[in-house]
Amino acid sequence: MEYHRLSFPLVGNPSPDLAKKDAGQAGMTPGQHGTRSMNERLPSRKIFGLLFLLFTFYFSLFTVSYAAEPPKRIISLAPNMTEILFALGLGDRIVGVTSFCDYPEEAKKKPKVGGMSNPSLEAVVTLKPDIVVMTTDGNPKEFEARLRSMGIRTYVFTSRRLSELPRGVRELGAALGVKAKADEFADHFEASLGKFRIKHARAARNARKVLFIVWPEPLIVAGPGTVIDDALRIIGVENIASGAKAEYPKYSIEEVIRKSPDIIFIGKGKGMESASEGLFKMLRKVPAVREKMVFYVSDDLYRLGPRTLRGIEEISALTDGKP
Amino acid sequence: MKINFFLIVLIFFAVLAISLFLGPTPINPLALDGTTREILINIRAPRIAVAVLMGMALGASGAVLQGILRNPLADPYILGISSGASLAAAIGIIGGVTIFGTFSIPVFAFAGAVLTGGIVGVMGWKRGGLWPERLLLAGVGLSFLFSALLMLIMSVSRDEGIRRAMLWIFGDLSMSDWERVPYGVLFVFGGVAISLWRAKALNALILGDEFAHSLGFAPQTERVLLFISVGLMTAASVSLGGMIGFIGLLIPHIARFFIGSDNRLLVPASALGGGALLCAADLIARSALPPMELPAGIITAIIGSPYFLYLLRRKNVLSV
Repeated sequence: MEYHRLSFPLVGNPSPDLAKKDAGQAGMTPGQHGTRSMNERLPSRKIFGLLFLLFTFYFSLFTVSYAAEPPKRIISLAPNMTEILFALGLGDRIVGVTSFCDYPEEAKKKPKVGGMSNPSLEAVVTLKPDIVVMTTDGNPKEFEARLRSMGIRTYVFTSRRLSELPRGVRELGAALGVKAKADEFADHFEASLGKFRIKHARAARNARKVLFIVWPEPLIVAGPGTVIDDALRIIGVENIASGAKAEYPKYSIEEVIRKSPDIIFIGKGKGMESASEGLFKMLRKVPAVREKMVFYVSDDLYRLGPRTLRGIEEISALTDGKP
Repeated sequence: MKINFFLIVLIFFAVLAISLFLGPTPINPLALDGTTREILINIRAPRIAVAVLMGMALGASGAVLQGILRNPLADPYILGISSGASLAAAIGIIGGVTIFGTFSIPVFAFAGAVLTGGIVGVMGWKRGGLWPERLLLAGVGLSFLFSALLMLIMSVSRDEGIRRAMLWIFGDLSMSDWERVPYGVLFVFGGVAISLWRAKALNALILGDEFAHSLGFAPQTERVLLFISVGLMTAASVSLGGMIGFIGLLIPHIARFFIGSDNRLLVPASALGGGALLCAADLIARSALPPMELPAGIITAIIGSPYFLYLLRRKNVLSV
C-alpha cells in the first residue's frame, strides 16, 4: 500500500481501477474519485497508467516488504508465531516451520526449516516464501538481515510481554491481510486479560508468594520480564523471583527457603516429577511444599500466543478460593 | 616448606568456616532460627562438603597426573574422562533417565567417566605397560571424539534439555545434598590415599623410568596404580557437580610455588588448595548477585588465573 501513497502526487490522476482499489482499501466508495469522467479520456489514461506502473515498479524495488498482495506462502520461525498464525486462520498458507513448532497438531506436519536459533537459510529459500515471520525472542538478527538482503520479505514480531501481544497481533494481521481476524483475536485477548485483572484485584492486596519453576535441577525459575511473571501479576500473586536480574535465572535454593513461597508452580513434562524429587526434598520446610501447594502445570504459559490465556486460566483456577 | 604447608591447612579451614556463615545472606551461628538452621545444615553444609571434595579431587589428581605424564600441561580433564562423563550425563539428562532416582545423573556421569578412563588405559597400554605419551594422546583423541558427540547430541536435540545439560556440565553445586557426600568421600579420599601412599614412587617416576627402577620401584605397576587413583578422583568429582576448570591444571603449579615438587607434600597441598579455591569460588558464585547464582567454574578461573600469572612472574621457578 505504501507505494500508492507515494506515487499519487507524482502521477497526478491515477488510473480508475487502481483508484478504485485503493479507495476500497481505505474504506471509501469508488464513486468519490469520479470514475466515469476519467474513462472518457482514454489516451491520457493509458499514459498515466504506464507511468504509474513504472513508478510502481521503481518504488517496489525499495519497498519489497510492502507488496500489496497478502502473502500466500508463509514461513514461521518461532513456535509461538506458528500458533498465532494458525489462530488467525493462516494455517493453510504456512509452508515451513521450525522443529520446535509442535502446536497445533497440524504444525507438526509442516516442512521443517531447522531450529529457532539456527534455521537453515537454504531450507527457507527453497520453500520460496512470500514472507518469513520471525521474533526478537529467539531468532538471530543476522538471519533476518540475510533474508532481506536476498530480497525475501520478513516480518519481525517484537511483542514479548503479555500486554504487548494484542497490538503485536493487530499489526501482524494487517501485514498479512487478515486484519479483521487479528482484531477479533486482540479484542478477545484484551477483554480476557481485563477479566482476570478484575477477578483478582482483591487478591493483589495481600498477595501470596509464588515461585514458578521452569526446571528443577539446577533450579531455573521464571524471573522478571517473562510472560509467566506478567501472568502471576495479573492473577494477583507475588513472584518471589521478580527481583532477579535475568529472565530465567538460576535461582538460589537458600533464597527460596528464606522467601518461603506459599505456592509453587512447576512445568509438567517427561520425567519432571522424578527430576524434581531432590529439589522438593531440599525445600521440604517451605510452606508450599509442606502444605502440598505444589502444582504441575501445562506449558501453555511458556509461549506468548493463543494458549497463553488458557495458561493464565489454569494458574488462576489453582490459586482460586484457597487460603 | 613445612610452614607453608601448615599455612595452607589453616587457609583451608578458614575458607570452610567463612563459606559456611557467609552467603547470599550471612548467618549468625549464635542466633539460629528454624529457617537459618535448615539453610545452614541442609543446604550450605552439604554444598560446601561437595565443593571441597570436588576441589580436592581435582587438585590432587592434577598433581599426580602432571607427575605420571611428566607434563606440566596435564590436567584431569585432558584424559577425556570429563568429556566421557559429560557425554553420559547429557544422554541421561536429555533422555530423561530416572532409573536411579535423584542419583541417576551422577551415576551416569560416574559410569561414563570410569568407562572412558578404562578406554584411555587400554589405548595407552603397550608392551606390558602404560606409556605417558600414549595415555596423553589417547586421552586427547577420545576427548575430541566425546566432545564432538556431545555437540552432536545437543545440536540435534529439540528438547529444552540442552540448556539444562549445559548448566549441569559447566558445574552446578546447587543441588548438593548429604546423600551424595559419603560416595564422594569414599572415592576422593580413596584416591588421595592411594596417591599419598605412592607419593614416593611418583617422585621417582618424574625423574624417569630407569631412575625409578634403580630406586626399587616398578614403574609400570606404580603408573597403573596412580592412574587408577586419578581416574577414581576425577570420576567422583565430575559426577558430584560437573566440570570445573582451572583447578586441576593450575592448583598443582600454584602449590609447587609454595611447597616445592616433593609429592608427599605437593599432593595433599594441591588437594587442600583445590578444595579451598572451589569453596571460595562457590561462595562468590552464590553470593555475588543474590538471589541469582553464577556457575562456580567461571569464578575459579577468574580469581585463579590472574593470581597464577602473578606468581608466574614473581617466583623464580622454571618447570615442574
